[in-house]
Amino acid sequence: MPIDRKDKNVNGPRTLLAELPDDTSDIHYVPAPCQIACPVGTDAPSYIAYIWDGEYENAYEAITATNPFSSICGRVCDAPCEPACRRTDSDGPVQIRNLKRFVMDKVGHDYDPPSLPVTRKESVGIVGSGPAGMVAAHDLCEAGFEVHLYEMTDRLGGMMIWGIPAFRLPQSVIQEDIDRLTHRCPGLNIHLNTTLGKDVTIEQLKNQHDAVILAIGSWWGKKMGIPGEEDNRVVDGVQFLREINAGARPEMPETVVVIGGGDVAMDACRAALRLPGCKNVKVVYRRGSDEIPARKIELQGAIEEGIEFIYNTQQVSVEAFNSGLKLHCLKTEDGPPDDEGRKRPIIKEGSDHSIDCGMVIASVGQEGKCEHLDEKGWMLSDRVNTNWEGMSTEDPKVFAAGDGAFGGSTIVMAMSHGQRVAYYVKAFLEGRENPLPYRTPHKTRRVAVAQDQLWEKLPLQEPVFHGVGENPIEFPEIEDTYSREDALKEAARCYRCDAETGSTDYAVKHREDIFVMARTNPLDHKKLKSTIQDRIRARVNPFPNDRAASLDDLTFLPANLSRLVIDPYREACNTATDLGEGKLLLSSPFFVTGFDSTEDDVKRDVGRGLAGANCGYIGVKPIANDVNWLQLVLPGQIKPHKDASAIIYAIGHKFQSVEPERLSEDQLLGMAISSLEALPEAIPYALENNFDMLLLDATGALGSPWSELKSAPDLAILRDAVSILRELDREEEIDLVYFGGLRSGTDAAKVIGLGGKAVVYGVVAALAAGGQITDTHDMHFEADRTSDDRSEGVSAILKACANEASMMARCTGKTNLMNIEPEDMRAISVATSQATGVPVAGNTE
Amino acid sequence: MVKIDLAKVSVREANEKLRELGEKGESAEIINPDARHHLGVGLTAPINVKIKGSAGYFCAGLTDQAHFDVEANVGWGVGDNMYTGSVVVRGNAGAIPGVAIRGAEIVIHGNMGSRAGQVMKEGTLCCLGNANFMAGYMMYGGRIIILGDSGERLGEDMSAGEIYVAGDLISMGSDAKQVDLEQSDDESVREFLDRYKIPFKGNLKKVMNAGTKLRYAKSEEQVRSIPFFTFSGTSDYWNSKIQEDIHIKSQIGRYRVRGYGGARPLPHFNDISFRKDITHAGNDPDVVSKVEMTTEVGGKYGANPLKLSMPVMIAPMSYGALSRSTKQAIAMASAMSNIAENTGEGGMSDAQRDAADQLIFQMLGGRLGWNIHDMQRADGLEIYISQGAKPGFGGQLMAKKVTKELATIRGIPEGIDLRSPSRHPDILGADDLVIKVEELREATGYRVPVSVKLGAGRVRDDIKIAYKDGFDFVELDGMQGSTGAGGAEVAEYVGIPTIAAISEALEALEEIDASGKLEIILMGGMRDGIDVVKSLALGAHAAAVGTSVLIAGGCIACMQCHVGQCVTGIATQDPEHEKRYKPEVEAKNIHRYLEGVRWQIASLTHALGHKSVHDLSRDDLVALTPEAAEMTKLPYAPEFRDRDATVRAKVS
Repeated sequence: MPIDRKDKNVNGPRTLLAELPDDTSDIHYVPAPCQIACPVGTDAPSYIAYIWDGEYENAYEAITATNPFSSICGRVCDAPCEPACRRTDSDGPVQIRNLKRFVMDKVGHDYDPPSLPVTRKESVGIVGSGPAGMVAAHDLCEAGFEVHLYEMTDRLGGMMIWGIPAFRLPQSVIQEDIDRLTHRCPGLNIHLNTTLGKDVTIEQLKNQHDAVILAIGSWWGKKMGIPGEEDNRVVDGVQFLREINAGARPEMPETVVVIGGGDVAMDACRAALRLPGCKNVKVVYRRGSDEIPARKIELQGAIEEGIEFIYNTQQVSVEAFNSGLKLHCLKTEDGPPDDEGRKRPIIKEGSDHSIDCGMVIASVGQEGKCEHLDEKGWMLSDRVNTNWEGMSTEDPKVFAAGDGAFGGSTIVMAMSHGQRVAYYVKAFLEGRENPLPYRTPHKTRRVAVAQDQLWEKLPLQEPVFHGVGENPIEFPEIEDTYSREDALKEAARCYRCDAETGSTDYAVKHREDIFVMARTNPLDHKKLKSTIQDRIRARVNPFPNDRAASLDDLTFLPANLSRLVIDPYREACNTATDLGEGKLLLSSPFFVTGFDSTEDDVKRDVGRGLAGANCGYIGVKPIANDVNWLQLVLPGQIKPHKDASAIIYAIGHKFQSVEPERLSEDQLLGMAISSLEALPEAIPYALENNFDMLLLDATGALGSPWSELKSAPDLAILRDAVSILRELDREEEIDLVYFGGLRSGTDAAKVIGLGGKAVVYGVVAALAAGGQITDTHDMHFEADRTSDDRSEGVSAILKACANEASMMARCTGKTNLMNIEPEDMRAISVATSQATGVPVAGNTE
Repeated sequence: MVKIDLAKVSVREANEKLRELGEKGESAEIINPDARHHLGVGLTAPINVKIKGSAGYFCAGLTDQAHFDVEANVGWGVGDNMYTGSVVVRGNAGAIPGVAIRGAEIVIHGNMGSRAGQVMKEGTLCCLGNANFMAGYMMYGGRIIILGDSGERLGEDMSAGEIYVAGDLISMGSDAKQVDLEQSDDESVREFLDRYKIPFKGNLKKVMNAGTKLRYAKSEEQVRSIPFFTFSGTSDYWNSKIQEDIHIKSQIGRYRVRGYGGARPLPHFNDISFRKDITHAGNDPDVVSKVEMTTEVGGKYGANPLKLSMPVMIAPMSYGALSRSTKQAIAMASAMSNIAENTGEGGMSDAQRDAADQLIFQMLGGRLGWNIHDMQRADGLEIYISQGAKPGFGGQLMAKKVTKELATIRGIPEGIDLRSPSRHPDILGADDLVIKVEELREATGYRVPVSVKLGAGRVRDDIKIAYKDGFDFVELDGMQGSTGAGGAEVAEYVGIPTIAAISEALEALEEIDASGKLEIILMGGMRDGIDVVKSLALGAHAAAVGTSVLIAGGCIACMQCHVGQCVTGIATQDPEHEKRYKPEVEAKNIHRYLEGVRWQIASLTHALGHKSVHDLSRDDLVALTPEAAEMTKLPYAPEFRDRDATVRAKVS
């Protein structure tokens, strides 16, 4: 039976800040480390869980909500989420990026998100269509502004399109994101082949728009600054990639040397390897292998493709030699750490040597350039002079973002700049002078945890890797998108650091508090102080005034020193009992009810289950020949039947006298009472007329279908019945059978402890037979179960309940379930104490 | 041969003398034993001891390599937990002879009492006469030879081992069956009898475990836990958790088992607030040096107390439930923070002993991993009666975790669903307990404190017994305590909350005029220093942290500890999974967590206006809910809830 596990995390209070709405004030949510590490705050845990659920469109929504370049990121994002993943230290991080790629490949192509209409009169001009500029454009369009995008090349995308070779990022994937974005933003006006300072000036932009954003990128490769680099066989990596991405496939010399260890160097060396004529590619990097900044996966890919890495080697000069080049180098060794904590390379004296090659590709960093802005004095050496706090520049109307404002970084970082600058531009256009400092909003979609039985064991799923492929010059993709099967496996691996588990005492916020303590330097008093402040607040009372008395809120007192424990795993505990002074013997004090109007096949199966468990049935009609039938008789409507083991007159809410009649000598006589009010009259009457049992109906609606589903049971009926009998001093003269809301053997043991002789299960048996609770508080039986499944389910649940009930008895030191007393229990809520007469824990009365 | 006259010296002196003689390699003769208890307890050197008369309880108990010859009868528990060595009893033996032996040979010429060889692991128990009922009860290994009749329910719930009977098999116990006698069995028994010069010509019958109860028939479908708020508070009566429980139980036909602590909210420390405004707590960076925190535990009867640098120790958690690496990391962290660690049920490993500065060694009913050598290198001994997560129940360790190595350290068969006995073979009431405590003290020369671990139930009665039975301290565990595996319903519905437990305990002591005379270490859902301070103010002497320490070391609270394939390598014995846990790294994390706890305790104590943690009192607290007020008898002050909210607003 599929269990409905879609428990949405809905009851947490939420305070929405109008300016920066997010979900972090929900007490049941803490952003997972992956989400915190993501510069655009992607709700990775939710989309991962959606993948496991097969809800790809929801996954798509979670992915793209803060990321218009999700298809691109699915392939080439730097994925800072992955090193942050807490599974990294166990058996490798969840492959969050590959999972994103899976979703985008699955639904990204044809998904058509709703359009973002222009609703405001202001317009914004953005220079540069890289990730920063385009994300800013997207967010401002989302806010309703008209946006004009000025791009100096003939294509949108900036470094995403010009900098990354197709074997990692096919053009079609880039186009997919860009098309989706432009399609979505009717207010976005695109001006290609428009260079700032040449085709348009900053003054013109300022005049035409209410605000301007400079997202000019870090477009130009830095020089190495060594003799000989002016040789035309020494090229810069960014330029090299640009040409290739424009479609060039130049003939290469046999040996190519790439200088540098960043992502551009990785792309350049791998691109060179795929070009005609190239046989060897060597990467020269001045620091050691531990310090190389390239993303590990790119580095591994390059190595697997056969590229040679020469570490601790500093280029000194280039010299033409024969028909090729000679790159003169010195060896270095690791020195003390620099400001960033990376080991500084120190030249080894006398280590000069040279590397022969036909071409040198220098990938030693990039810079932003713009003469037009430089003339105005708005530029630093390699970027626009920008204030991080408000993303502002020299001119109050002009903002800047991305690599062109803060130096070379990653796509996702540039995107986050785009979001940040859009936030400040929006505040500016709305005339808000001191907006809240921007922070990445964290949202959760409150998706239930993936129910994969192997989640602890499943290893990291590696996608199929092709390397250069069969026809390298075509730049086929280096690896495959996950198959559905692999995606599910990988998705199952997620810890779900964001979500609550079943533990209240170690709820997600508590766990994070402990986690923070465990990672805080004992001298960091400020942080430690925050661990106190978070914890001295009061929680919401888990037993609010409107929580009714419940069997849940009774606990058993175990035997310890004062009483001998009866070994609950081994020693016998009798569960047998009888009704009517031996007239009806029961192996366990259980009955089942509720199947009178259920489909015949289900009824038949339940009947078999009851026979197997030797459990009687209470109902208007019998359920099976070999099952004891306790007949519910509605006075005046149905006649007592001689085959019934008991005749139970159901008097309902108001006492009425009946004409009790035993059709055979050993037939039990009972009365079912559905309200507290009827007890004072009904009980003396039943005693006077020699009734054997009272069926106490705590649901108030015995006989109507699945009355247990309609409301929680009123425990007080048992308390009152016991106290009336006690007052009459006739407790032993009549057996109390209780019906209403019993869910387990533990519940049964509690009712027996409170004075019940036997209990009646309804919904429990139905659920065990494969029933499902419907939205209208009814029970529905799907045809998805075999007859044996149903009857075995019923037998098994009754066995489990007997097993549980007797465990509880044994742990209180009883060898007979019937010997549990009120004294063996305590209440943990005041309401339950009042409704049952059981003292609150810590008290004896 | 040195004579020791028990008419002249006490048993304690006699045992000290025997230890000396053992070291020197001399033999001893005890005269006038007069059935005194604990004769020869705790000897670990090879020595021959002749007892000229009868001995009382636990004769030769907790020994290794010693040989005893008792001229007359012995009381119950002869040879308790003996490693190697032997005891020959010329007369009759009382109940549980050879209880928990781990290799010894015990020969009883007369008849023997009930439950002979209970929870024995290895060695031979031989009775020339008749056995009383339930010989071989819950035995895990070794051999019992009964030359007379077997008694009733022979081999009741034995897990492994062999029983040979020459006389009548009166009746078989649950899960025991008669099997064919192999020739090698027969020869081996006769070789043993020859060695002890026991003439025997009869035929033997062999009884072994029938194997019907060693493993659960159907395994439970593993599901990741449903968020707690969906089944607590004001959630639906037939919520998804209830449905899941019914669904799974209708497949397996028994109670569900799971790890971790209770799931739903109970009245707890966060329903209690501080009376003073403590928003300034933590402002003073130097606060740790300004608050007295050192706490001694267990010295009241003259044992060397545990010396804690703060009123905190590690709650008992077993190697078995947890991986060896995890136990090692916790031990290391406890030493770094200068507090005490506890072995839990599963025995003591060298790595753990070496890493921990102060280590309490815990004894459970199954006596798994319990032995004299580890007792003697422990800094405290603890009798486990029950625990908060599953009081009244023994430990459960699912087959997946019972690896070869683990089985060896515990002395049990490999790969069984281990359900430890729920009570001790030799503690059936308060009077037995006194004698048991005395045995442990004898075995360790009265050097270390002996404590009792109690799950909170009938605290009022239990704590009075603990006091009267002379324990050095009590570890009291509320129902918020956690476990590696236990009945799911038990975790939720057995026991009383931690705040109720401590309050009831202190009231009980007051009732017998013993306020302040029994040190109570409180545990069960203790999350950090804030909870510790509240515990101390409620009257606990110190507090113990368990689950929080696991979380500090990477636990993600998925509640699947019982499954045995813990994703973080904590609650597992699978080497591939254990590899994921880096003890050195996690020890540092746990240490930092403990130092955070220290800082929190100091800051709060200071903010409450005290110079020492021992000055905290109930006057520092108020209850925020009617439930917390009823349980603790603290004043109910809901207005403090509003104050907290205002204070919080002010802070943020």
